Amino acid sequence: MSMLTSSFRNLFRRPFTTSYPKGGADLPDTNRGRVLWDMSRCIFCRRCERSCPTIAIITDKEAKTQTIIRNRCIACNTCVEVCPTQTISMVPEYSAPDTAPTVHVFSVDLPAHQYRVEHLPRGEGRPPS
Amino acid sequence: MSRTTIIPIGPQHPAFLEPLNVSLELKEERVVGATLNLGYNHRGMEHALSLDYKKSQYLVERVCGICSNHHSAAYCQTVEAIYGVEVPERARIIRTITMECQRITSHLLALGHIAEVVGYENLFMQCFRERELVMRLVNEITGNRVHYSTNVIGGVKRDIDAAMERRIEDVMSDLRPRLEELHAIFSRDSTFVKRTKGIGKLTREQAIDWCVVGPVARASGVAQDVREDGFAAYDRVRLRPVVREEGDCYARTMVRMDECLRSVDLIEECLPLLKEGSVVLSVKGHPSGEGISRVEAPRGELMYYVKAIGKLQLDRVKIRTPAFVNVPAVQAMLPGARLADVPVITVSLDPCICCTDR
Repeated sequence: MSMLTSSFRNLFRRPFTTSYPKGGADLPDTNRGRVLWDMSRCIFCRRCERSCPTIAIITDKEAKTQTIIRNRCIACNTCVEVCPTQTISMVPEYSAPDTAPTVHVFSVDLPAHQYRVEHLPRGEGRPPS
Repeated sequence: MSRTTIIPIGPQHPAFLEPLNVSLELKEERVVGATLNLGYNHRGMEHALSLDYKKSQYLVERVCGICSNHHSAAYCQTVEAIYGVEVPERARIIRTITMECQRITSHLLALGHIAEVVGYENLFMQCFRERELVMRLVNEITGNRVHYSTNVIGGVKRDIDAAMERRIEDVMSDLRPRLEELHAIFSRDSTFVKRTKGIGKLTREQAIDWCVVGPVARASGVAQDVREDGFAAYDRVRLRPVVREEGDCYARTMVRMDECLRSVDLIEECLPLLKEGSVVLSVKGHPSGEGISRVEAPRGELMYYVKAIGKLQLDRVKIRTPAFVNVPAVQAMLPGARLADVPVITVSLDPCICCTDR
């Protein structure tokens, strides 16, 4: 009997679900969404690249760029913790979905937290070396 | 006629979330024998885990998505045992809180799954609605809904501040009446009780013979709970293991339902224990030596053995997951059951093939 009363109560309740993407995801400020670089502070020490558990970060000292393969990143916050100059920050929003592996390139000639989007060929996890 | 028919169930079956294969020997509608086949999901995790002990603290969480925090807690405890360090008190309490939160989410998933297999979609939806409250809470505490990544070797990454303590209290007081409502439905609803009571019996002797652990063992009258050993902060709280004697699908479900309520009690008991202090202890150098550790995952005893050789690589990582010992017991439960009850019996074990195959 209790399920029947519960069902009737549910009929007159506001829906528990939200109308995502129209309503926006209900993410807390502490959510680990994706990492962003402020390249004016980067000293290219490669600590983020070495500590990344999924080999998602590629540091290029000559070209002065930091490249992140979004599909490989697990947002574990390790790079943010090891960075000696607080270059890397974690934002709560996730990166947009894509049909091909996406690579975000942060370079010194771009403003802070801005990046260039590049695509890898389908099925490839890392850029050609 | 004494002819028997062999019917394979799985590896792909609507009732199972993950690939496992049960070969049933049927006489008319009755099951007379069952053979279990596993290994469809093998990923070679134990080898991958031994490649880099620091990065492995994130990979262990990927062994299983439903008990990820227990895996990382067990791994970190093992490596801490090799280092011989004592984790700060505050970190141990935070670990206990996150582990109990995950127990609630895992049990509610198992309860929702068995409700769905019984054919009770409405109850399944209700279980998942209450589960969402805990999922959002954990997202606020740790930063992620599934893979918390909060346990590190030497403590935890994120502290719980005063505002978060109040938030946990609020969610728990909101969750308790909802869980009690679910408890009333699971224990009294005739649709559910008729499909589960007396089905898939596992006697106390069989439970000991098949070495089952966790809620499956406790539903068969084996009072066994690793939390009584007092890892993390379980030595500071009042544990009251849920034990039932029936050993059928109904008992297994009700043990999980009661444990959800006990977990709420434990989280509320843990909060006043939080005293000022650091949450992480830094460890120096590579570990060297052997370590072993056990935690009580939602499905039962989870054991980690690590052999370190003073390098970044580890010599051996051995995981004994609770599902690995629980799932084969389905062969003891199935004989004598009707074909229609096979999915219910299998799901009542809460089989996690990710854990089993690794």
